[in-house]
Amino acid sequence: MSGSTDRSWTVKVREKAVEALPPEKLLPDGQPTYVASWIYMFGVASIASLVVIIGSGSILALKGPAWWHYTGVGHFFNSIHMWAVELFFFAMVVHLWGKYWMSAWRGGRARVWMTGAITFLVAVPTALTGYVSQQNFDAQWISTQAKDGLNSVGVGAFFNVTNFGQMYSYHVLLLPIAVVVLVSAHVLLVRRHGVVPPIELEARLQAAPAVEAPAAAAAGGAG
Amino acid sequence: MIKSAVIGAVFNLNHPAHVVHWHFIKLPLANVIVIGLMLVAFAVAIALPFPGAARRAAARRQAGES
Repeated sequence: MSGSTDRSWTVKVREKAVEALPPEKLLPDGQPTYVASWIYMFGVASIASLVVIIGSGSILALKGPAWWHYTGVGHFFNSIHMWAVELFFFAMVVHLWGKYWMSAWRGGRARVWMTGAITFLVAVPTALTGYVSQQNFDAQWISTQAKDGLNSVGVGAFFNVTNFGQMYSYHVLLLPIAVVVLVSAHVLLVRRHGVVPPIELEARLQAAPAVEAPAAAAAGGAG
Repeated sequence: MIKSAVIGAVFNLNHPAHVVHWHFIKLPLANVIVIGLMLVAFAVAIALPFPGAARRAAARRQAGES
């Protein structure tokens, strides 16, 4: 074994990672009482939907884009995939509204908020490329309408939504990777910075940090 | 065949989509319904207490006092 492990990049990366996100923060014993809210359930529901989307999408990718047109099982998985997308957007939008009205970017949590908001923005073209990859009249209609829309905002030279190969590649590889990376970053940043406290509690903590801080720490016990 | 006939009896999709047109806003009725459901879910998520939240908060307060 080399004696220069202190200069190894793996050691540096590990130390940085543990410093940023120690195990007790990554997998905590519990959460503060204010996390017991339905708004967070919608965040978790988004992730659960994403898992179903990736699972059903992987099966559809294995069998090819035309499979769902001529088999009942294919149609079933296509429906699972589509309804999981509907639930994903539904839950994500409710979670996003909740966090917006809570000003969830408070207390140095700008990156937490931005990764969540950008996930929504990236999920939109991920869904669009799925709709134009259906290989039916619906896909033709959507792609020609989207082409006009993209041309009207000046980005039509970069994306050809009537090019099935390009759209399918975007849909099954590039955009899902972006969504998964963003969601992972979002969850890790939530773990690092903690869930944003209610505005009222934060004001109380700022007013009397010496008195309230131990109580708030106690509130973060077993959940 | 029977299943599709039953579903067809509930939702008649054999017509052009209904569209809600209000001033410059033009949305398919299905989208309006989904947006409405999201608003309802949001309101309910804010208003409804999470199961067990009050009990856990009380237990923690008690643990903090003792």
